[in-house]
Amino acid sequence: MRVRTIAKKELVEFVRDWRTILAILIIPLLMFPLLFILFPLLLASEAAELEAIEVDVVVQSESMPDELTALLENSSLRLIFEPLPELESLSSPQDGQERLRNGSVDAILRLQMNETILEYAVLYLSTSEQSLEARSRTFDVLGAWEQNETVRRIDAAGLDANQTLDPLRWDGDIGQSDVATQGEQAGMALSLFIPLVLSVWTFSSAIQPSIDMTAGERERGTLEALLGLPCTRMELLMGKWLAVATITGTGVLLQVAGLLFAIGYLATSDFISTPSVSYTALIFLCLAVLLFAVMVVAFELALAMRSHSVKEAGSILGPAVLIILFPALFTQVINLDGIETFWFAIPVVNVLLALRELLMNRIVYTHVLVWLLSSTLYALAAAYYAARQFKREDIVTSLS
Amino acid sequence: MNPSLLSVRSATKRFGDVIALESIDLDIHEGEIVGLVGSNGAGKTTLLRLLSGVYRPTTGRVVLSGDADVERARSKLGVVPENTGLYSRLTAWENIRYHSRIHGISDDEAWNRTMYFAKHLDMVEVLGRHTKGFSRGMRQKTALLRALVHAPSVLLLDEPTAGLDVTSARVVRELVRQLGEEGGTVIYSTHQLSEAQRVCNRIVIIHNGEVRADGTPDSLLEATRTSNLEEAYVALTKDVARTRQEDAKPLSRWSSWWRGIFTPKTPGGDESE
Repeated sequence: MRVRTIAKKELVEFVRDWRTILAILIIPLLMFPLLFILFPLLLASEAAELEAIEVDVVVQSESMPDELTALLENSSLRLIFEPLPELESLSSPQDGQERLRNGSVDAILRLQMNETILEYAVLYLSTSEQSLEARSRTFDVLGAWEQNETVRRIDAAGLDANQTLDPLRWDGDIGQSDVATQGEQAGMALSLFIPLVLSVWTFSSAIQPSIDMTAGERERGTLEALLGLPCTRMELLMGKWLAVATITGTGVLLQVAGLLFAIGYLATSDFISTPSVSYTALIFLCLAVLLFAVMVVAFELALAMRSHSVKEAGSILGPAVLIILFPALFTQVINLDGIETFWFAIPVVNVLLALRELLMNRIVYTHVLVWLLSSTLYALAAAYYAARQFKREDIVTSLS
Repeated sequence: MNPSLLSVRSATKRFGDVIALESIDLDIHEGEIVGLVGSNGAGKTTLLRLLSGVYRPTTGRVVLSGDADVERARSKLGVVPENTGLYSRLTAWENIRYHSRIHGISDDEAWNRTMYFAKHLDMVEVLGRHTKGFSRGMRQKTALLRALVHAPSVLLLDEPTAGLDVTSARVVRELVRQLGEEGGTVIYSTHQLSEAQRVCNRIVIIHNGEVRADGTPDSLLEATRTSNLEEAYVALTKDVARTRQEDAKPLSRWSSWWRGIFTPKTPGGDESE
């Protein structure tokens, strides 16, 4: 009853601050839908912008095939024809370096006929978008000429160009060859992404409420009045834990809901589709997230309660995100096929791997047993550590 | 004399090497208004925290109504800490109700009791307002209402009139006096002797963590052979007052070295050290 009263009061205080509601609930809900809407728009706009830009290309050559000259002149390049200077090799930048660096030209195409071979080099500045675009368009023209020339030379030799150039061919629809369903493929793709988002967001969204309900109370002097009440410190911890876990859980759920909405309604099916996960896997997924949340929230409450001020708590909990981020990135590269069982007993890594397996709808009961037991153990250890911090006497004193 | 309601038996409180309170023996009887008087850092707040069960004595005991450890009998205590401890995003009534619910009091009962005291403190109109914009006086009155909501046997007040305007301080003092007249027990910490003299029927002088005197104002004058309480206080606390002890926890060697790097030396630093 007291636990509920404490949790309820913390939640009431939380919802009355619109800034934290915005940061912890609204942003996670809208993040993925906005990303799915804005990212394609941004890509399209960037592509259109690149398409529209005009690039200056210097063509240095003594003689060049007429067809190539025609292709260059019909392209979107602005051309400046110059004689080929004396060079060690066509790739030597020489005076071209200065011209590219000062932006007077975007690329330099050098051509030289060596008997039947047309030798070439394209000088460019890799740190300039404009120069990269000039290089890309130049390559397109050169590629088109090379293709035509290749076909012409094969025909001239009395061969069938189609058969000579394409002796190995795929038969039928390449998309039908993967026996994994679209849902399974989506599960595989999302298993590299959702565990990272879930773990990092669970940790980071619990930071602010954890600090506010512990070091914040300590700094504002509200904790002393609370400690004089007939509730045990364990009740206090549980009430605060319940409140932080509710806020964090809601934030994570909203974020996942936002992601699934974006996948279902905003993304094209050839990009990604909804993952197919069985009910058993879904139950284990929820359990894994719950155990992870118990551990993370208890750990954060403990660290925040150890701190004498909000500033101190922030400077400890902020960098502590790395404790989650590094294992989260690390688990992305672990191959799940034939994975050793001990991985499922390593703190943080165990839950992240469990989430990956479950999102791929793989239920390996040995793995489930190991991560379930180890996660429960870690959650209990974190709760015990938090309880010890809440029983400290100096929690009523503040540095401020 | 009424039976002892709250007893401190040979209680010592240490914070590391620092002795905040030493061998305190105190019996608070029903109906008494006891003034804890002492300078800043004397140990008044530490003693109040021992009495409210926030701190545990390093040695000795604090017991309520006979033999129950105070930590287990906190429902009989009403506490107003020095800084009131109100939640600014809650209304005054929500602050009061939060504590009453933890005490297991029904909302109706809490409301009736709050209204009774709110009329005395002229707080009825502001109960529904968020406490964020409250003046120091309003905050102190709200904290008093919150401490009284569960009809405690003992009310612990830590410097309840500090920083209040004359009118608010007077209202608080009158309420405490009224509680005393109704048979309530109040422990009232202050560093102002005149305040204690006006409100309390018993004064405990604390200095450097020790009880230097304990009795009625007249008995203190008699014991020190002085003509007023101020002279009595000076006579009892001749030794230099220490600084506030419980917050002055020594820094670790590493923290001390690190902080020293970024701390400029004061002029004539060697002498001051």
